Formats: sequence, structure tokens, C-alpha cells
Amino acid sequence: MRLIVLALCLLPHSLQAQTPAPAIPRFADESATAGLTGFYAGEWQYMVGGGVAVFDCNADGFEDMLIAGGENPAMFYRNVSQQGGPLQFRQETAGLEADAVTGAYPLDIDADGLTDLALLRVGENRLMRGLGNCRFAPANADWGFDGGDDWSTAFAATWEKGASWPTLAFGSYIDRTQEAFPWGSCTPNQLYRGGDGRFAAPLALTPGHCALSMLFTDWNRSGQPALRVSNDREYYKGGQEQLWQLDPGAAPVLMTEADGWKRLRLWGMGIASHDVTGDGYPDYYLTSMADNKLQTLESTTAPVRPGYADTAFARGVTAHRPYTGGDLRPSTGWHAQFGDVNNDGLFDLFVAKGNVANMPDFALLDPNNLLLQQADGTFQEVGEAAGVDSMAIARGGQLADFNMDGLLDIVVVNRWQTAQLWRNISEDAGGFAAFRLQQPGPNRDAIGAWVSVRRGDTVTRHEVTVGGGHVSGQLGWVHFGLGTSTAAEVRVEWPGGRVDDWQPLLADTFQILAPGQAPVAFIAP
Amino acid sequence: MKLGRRQVTLGLMSLPFASPRQALAQTAAAQSGLLPPEAVLSQWYRLVLELVRHTATYSPPVASRAFAYLGITAYEVAASSPATGLRSLAGQLHGLTPPPACDPALSYAMPAMLHGAMAAAVMAFFGNTGPTGQRAMAAMDRILGEQVAKDTDPATLARSRDQGAAVAQHMLDWSLGDGGATVVNMGFPYDYPPPQSAADWVPTSLIAVQQTPLLPDWGRNRPFAMPAGQPACGLTLTIPYSAEPESAFYQQAAEVVAIKAALTDEQKLIARFWSDDPMLSPTPPGHWISIAMAILDRDAADLATWADVLARLGITIADAFIACWQTKYDVNLLRPVTYIRQVMGETKWEPLLNTPPFPEFPSGHSSQSGAAAAVLTAIWGEGFAFDDATHADDGLPVRHFPSFAAAAEEAALSRLYGGIHFREGVEAGLAQGRCVGAYTVALQTRV
Repeated sequence: MRLIVLALCLLPHSLQAQTPAPAIPRFADESATAGLTGFYAGEWQYMVGGGVAVFDCNADGFEDMLIAGGENPAMFYRNVSQQGGPLQFRQETAGLEADAVTGAYPLDIDADGLTDLALLRVGENRLMRGLGNCRFAPANADWGFDGGDDWSTAFAATWEKGASWPTLAFGSYIDRTQEAFPWGSCTPNQLYRGGDGRFAAPLALTPGHCALSMLFTDWNRSGQPALRVSNDREYYKGGQEQLWQLDPGAAPVLMTEADGWKRLRLWGMGIASHDVTGDGYPDYYLTSMADNKLQTLESTTAPVRPGYADTAFARGVTAHRPYTGGDLRPSTGWHAQFGDVNNDGLFDLFVAKGNVANMPDFALLDPNNLLLQQADGTFQEVGEAAGVDSMAIARGGQLADFNMDGLLDIVVVNRWQTAQLWRNISEDAGGFAAFRLQQPGPNRDAIGAWVSVRRGDTVTRHEVTVGGGHVSGQLGWVHFGLGTSTAAEVRVEWPGGRVDDWQPLLADTFQILAPGQAPVAFIAP
Repeated sequence: MKLGRRQVTLGLMSLPFASPRQALAQTAAAQSGLLPPEAVLSQWYRLVLELVRHTATYSPPVASRAFAYLGITAYEVAASSPATGLRSLAGQLHGLTPPPACDPALSYAMPAMLHGAMAAAVMAFFGNTGPTGQRAMAAMDRILGEQVAKDTDPATLARSRDQGAAVAQHMLDWSLGDGGATVVNMGFPYDYPPPQSAADWVPTSLIAVQQTPLLPDWGRNRPFAMPAGQPACGLTLTIPYSAEPESAFYQQAAEVVAIKAALTDEQKLIARFWSDDPMLSPTPPGHWISIAMAILDRDAADLATWADVLARLGITIADAFIACWQTKYDVNLLRPVTYIRQVMGETKWEPLLNTPPFPEFPSGHSSQSGAAAAVLTAIWGEGFAFDDATHADDGLPVRHFPSFAAAAEEAALSRLYGGIHFREGVEAGLAQGRCVGAYTVALQTRV
């Protein structure tokens, strides 16, 4: 048994540290030694996809992972790292080794406390029920799930108000049977609702515009998430980015210009969300090709309308061109994720980069971005200094604390090349707090909750979601950096509307949050 | 040159206007051994319209250049058959020498020649397209290749494809020296001089790569039919820049603001119909190619007409972009959004359309539309009515026009409605286009 409660003296970045200056994180490339051998294989049908799911399937607190294999079988890796030590994974047969997997998302569909998985495939999608100790079994038949036969490239999940069963959205790409004229053949996305342990027949989210990322998100803080869809303009005709409003029990409604939705068309590939501006509303980073966006609400005056301004240029997160390596051609962005990699209390931004497939007008040497948020809200590129400036052809990825040392590590899935894993070895990072939310009822992991951390006058808010990124998801610790603060508080706004009081958090600790209860330090069973 | 059997079947079959996928399916399914050469052209061009939309370097000027060379390639292949009555453009276009000739002692199959030419040319011009475009080109090559092979002996088939490819290579070699063959960073230079005066263009886009203007040297490219070596169809501003509220320039900007404030649904539709954004449409050049193809399809035009229209339309649009870009960078005028925000103080004003990332004067769409209308009017006549379904796949309605000139005028006005041009920019653009078009109309295409 590994003890997970951390003593301050064991941490390299304890709250005792008083370093006020912004710290550039340092990462060690442990790809070769960590035991990851998987990569995303395949040609045309696998030019997109290449995701990774990160989750704890044996309840030891350490997050395991599944890497999509494309034409190869998906590969499961059990996390056998020691706390604070080098990253170590062991490939095992978990029942997840399907072929044609483009990506995967973890979630607890049946609320049994065991993580399940949604496998996105070229062909029939599969829901995999967690059996415990990292074993999984197909559940399509048991749960009445019609996996379809699309080229699936996006996923999101939520628990609608009053629902006993999750609502799943699967996004799909083009009609792969079209050869000479595939453009304009985007297939409809599918929405699955259910109850009593089964899914009903899916609702087609028409029109589909070739989704490469989807996210259920409470964009207007109404308490009712909507479905944000980022679409690839390469293939749609008459398409744009989408926002579907979901009223419980009612058919989804696509928001329009009359609702305040502003038309945006880009090579949408990934969505990252976080309240960057601190206004209490989520902001969205959208990856594309040389045209990444950071969308913030134009106005938060009630009634809030879904009009967004692009602040990427102003905040320095356009990430439109390689910053090192000498290739000046435009970049291609895929997975994006906010996370505080130096624990200074400001969420940073990681973007996985890689050419689609030898496209000569775009950078072939396209390093991943690590953009550190600074006190003034702008971001600074530190990918090279931090050591994550890989030129491999990246697709999916995740920021996660794989060795539970309080520092976010990075995994990236590459096309045709072995996945990469970087351990965060920063010595001058700030303190941290990591949370897992647990609540009774069907939405056991409190998907849709907002976790806020208050340090003095500063409040950092983050929405707990399943979806987004580029076919990559995580069900694990929600990580906050604490900077040099010696005291901090946490508050959870639970799905359904319950708002707990601010309460002191356990600094530099992994802890469980439950409604109405004080944080409890996590101890592995 | 002996006539192959299918060289005398021109016009036997014409496909109704349909979506590309439908049309290709019809082509594959309906053939019983006789594939009209114009069907070969039609299918390749349908694919080209998609490739223009989906290839990152294909901004409107770049697209215009490709349409010109592709059209001339097809034209010269067609003109190699006396049956078409077409006269070679060699010697009429700057730098174009006679392409490789057919061996008069041997027979050739026109569909295979055209297929060989188009396959080679399209794959060369769109060699930088993405994996889906590459897959589509390969599929088109295979599907049409199987069709043109029917009922043709292998020797004739191979000879015909090779002959077409040789003509294409001749055109590709010719194209390399025109100044437009290399497009770096999607056309946006890494460095560009800052503005020197208040009237100068400044970036308007929040996209980082668009902080320099698109293809500033495009106006120096070798033209096709209009005079080379000197500014042809050049323009000067008649309404000079001024920040004074009483000035005509200020009033022009005020008109843009007023129009935006009172846009009707019809005007919004017109703006979006002609928006023709790169990467989201076949671009303005492709829009006019689409118009022409629909008419050629509708009227079951013969090969000579197809080749003549595609060549001359491509030529004139390409020349219009060269002339227009020459003027744009000579004048280097700021866009309405810049003036309205900075001079008129309406700091949150936004145009209906995305402002293109290059100088305002004159309107490129207006210029190339004026040229296109001039050429198509010369070919099909005044008052030639047609329907334009270019954007039907994108959900925009079909628009009916009583003439090409009317369509060009609407295209020009759309930029005013869209808030991306001043009135002088669109009116002067149309005039410039008509000037350019006259040079193309003067080409001798019939024996």
C-alpha cells in the first residue's frame, strides 16, 4: 500500500517555499523508461484522433491510462509509479484492446464507483464497464447502447437535471465511404439519453459539421450545461462552431445568431476550458491551424448571451507558428488543456502540435506549446525551456499528476511515433491541492461541478467536465496550484445547485470533497 | 492527326447540374463506353473547385492563377484536334510557346488526352493539398481513367494520356516563370514595412499570421493577355484620404457605417452570397468558374465551348487579380474598419464580413467580377440570364441574374454591404475588370 497523504517535508514545492517569482517548470522526458510503447497508427482514417484516457481504475490514487491505437489495438497501461518517483507504467490486458479506436473518455456511467470508458472508434463505438482492478467488459448490449458505424472523433458527457443516467454526445467526422468528393459529407453527431440503466435510441444532432471536440459546459452559469461543439471547416459546408442548448427532456436546440451566437468557422480540433479571466464564466481555447482562439464572453451582463471575443492575440496564446526548431510555417494544434504546471496559482495552457500528414504548407517541425499564464493575464511560451518542445506529430494528450508529487506531468499521443511522457521535476513550484469530488446518486463524480480555490482576494475557478480536448479525457484529480500561499480555501458548487461554504483546504494534499463535508485526505485502500 | 472514334462524339452526353458526388456517380454509372471529353473536363473542374476550397495556400489570387493555367491546358489539348475549330493561344499569351504536337500519323482519343492533361496539371497545382485532397485526386484519376479506357485500344490510350500529360507539362514549365509559383507562409510575408501615413493599410485581423498583407508582390506577376511590363488597367484614387468630417473620404466611410446600420435581409444575403471566403468557398475566381460550369452543363455545351470558356475565364480573372494587386499595393489604402474606428471614433464598429487582410483599393472581387462578366458576355451575349447555385451546398439560395454584368455589379456591391470596401473601391474595381476583360476578349480562339 502506498500512503498518499503527503507530509510537507516530502514535497519539493511545499507551501513553506516563499519564492515569489514566476517559475518556469522543468520536465524530464521519461518516455523511454516509463514503459509506454503505444502509438497511434494508420493512414487516412486516422489522420485525426489519437487520444488518451487517464483514470484511476484500481483506486490507488495513481492515474492509469489507455492510449488509442488507430489501426493497432488500444493499449492499457497500469500506473506503477511510486509517489514522487520516476513515472512507471506496465502494459496489461484490460479488456480495452479494441482496434480502430480514435480516442477514449473515462466516466462512471452506472455510478457503481468503478470507472467506465467510452471508446470512440472508426466503426461501432463501445461503452466499457469497469469491473474493478482495471478490468473492463463490453457493455453496449447491457446498457442498450447503439454504437453506430461512424467515424467518431469527439465525445462529451453530462448528467442532466433530474436524470438517473448520463447523457452522452458522440461527435463524428466525414462519411468515410466518400472518396473523390468527401467534402460536405459530415455525418450527424449523436446524443444518447437514458434511464433505468439503459440508453434510449440516439437523437441525431443535425446538422453535423465534422466535430473534433465537444464539451458539455455551463457557459452562462445557469446551472444547465450546453453542448459546445468545435468543428473542422475542412469538411463542412454551411457549417460553423455550434452550441446546443439542452433542456431536460426536450430536444436539443441549436443556438443561433438570434440568441447572440456569433458565427465562427475554423479548423476546430480541440476545446480547453477554464475561467481564465476570473469573471466566473468559462473561457474556451479552440485549437485550429494557425488560427487558435481564446474566447471570452463579450458581456457578462444579464441575460448573458453567447457572444465571444477572441482574446488569443491580446493574451499571447495564438501559438500560430513554431517558436523553435527553425520551421516558420504555420502550426497545427490538436489537444489543448489548461492546468497549473508550476503551481503558481495561475492555470497555464498546453497545446499538442503536429502536422496532419506531411502537409507542406504547415510546419513539419511543430513543437508542443507550454504557455505559462502570467500575473497580468498574458501567457509566455516556455515549451523549449521546460523541455516539452517535441517535434513528434502530436494529437491527444493530458496533463495529470501521474506520480502524485503535486506536479502536473504530461502525456502526449503521437501519430506513427511512440507516445511521450514528461515528468514534472520542477524544484521551485508552488504548493498545490488536488481534489476528487464524490457525491451520492447517479452523477457520482459530480461532473458539472465548479471547484473554486480562494487565496486571499484571488479566486480560481474550474469546471469539472467530461469531454473536450482532442479525443482525450480524464477522470481524476482536479489540480490547483497554490503559489506561495500558506492558507487557502475551497468551495464546490455541486451539480444541481448546492453550494457549499468556503472551507480551509488541505494544502499539498490529495483530498476528497463531498457535499457538506470538510475535505478528507485521500488514503489509498 | 487522326481522329479517334470518341473525338466525334462531342456533346453526346451532358450531365445535369448536380452535386459533385452525384455527378461523379452519374458519370460512372451512365457510361456505356462513350465518355464525352467535356465530361472529363467537368469532373476534374468540380474537383478543382473543392481543392481550391481545401488547400491552404489557395487565396483568391493563387486560385485565379491555377484556373488560368488549368483552363489553358485543357484548351490547348482541345485545340490539338482540328475538329474543335479552336486556335492555339501560343503566341497570344505572354511567354506561351506551342505545346507538344500530336503525331499526325497516329490516332488519339480526346477523352484520354484531356484526362491525362488534367490529371497531371491538377496534381501539380494541388500537390500541396492535404491527405483528403490527395486521396480525392487519386480517386478521380482512377475512376475517370477507367472510364476513358473503355473501348480504346491500350496503345492509343497510353499515347493519348501521355500526349495530354506532355501538354500539361509544357504549361507547368511555362507557369514556373510567372512570379506566382511559390507561395510561402500561405502568402503572408514574414516582414513588411510599417505604415508611413494615416492613409496606409494596417492589419485588421486578430489572426497572427495576417499581421502582414497577402501577397504584396502579386501585382508584379507576368500577366496572361493584358500588356506586360507596364501597369495595365491601373487606377488612382479620385477621392483622396482625409480625416476631415467634411471630406468626401469621410463621407464615404460614413456611407459604409450607414449601410451597415440599415442592412436589409436581402443585402445581408447578397453580402454572404458573394463573400466567397478562402477555405470556406471556391473563392471569388471559383465562384465565376462555377457559374460558367453550370451554364455549360445546362446547355450541353460542346468541347470547344467548354475549353474556350474555361480558358478565357481563367485568363481574365488571373489578369484581373494581377492588375488589382498592382493597384492595391501602389495605393495601399486602409480598410473601412480601420478608418471608422480610428477616425470616426466608432471603436466597436464591426463589418458584416471578415475584412480581408490586404489593402482596400480597389475591390478584388469587383475587379475580377468585372473581367469575368466582360468575357462571358462576349461569349454568350448581353442579357444572358442564368441561375447561380454556387453556394447551394452551403445552404445559400440559388440567385437568378438577368445578365453577367448584373451579377458582377451585385458582387461589387456586396463588398459595400459587407462593410469591407468603400464605394469608390467597388466601382473602380468593376471598371478595372472591364478593362482587363477587353484584353481577354481580344484573344483569337477560333480558327
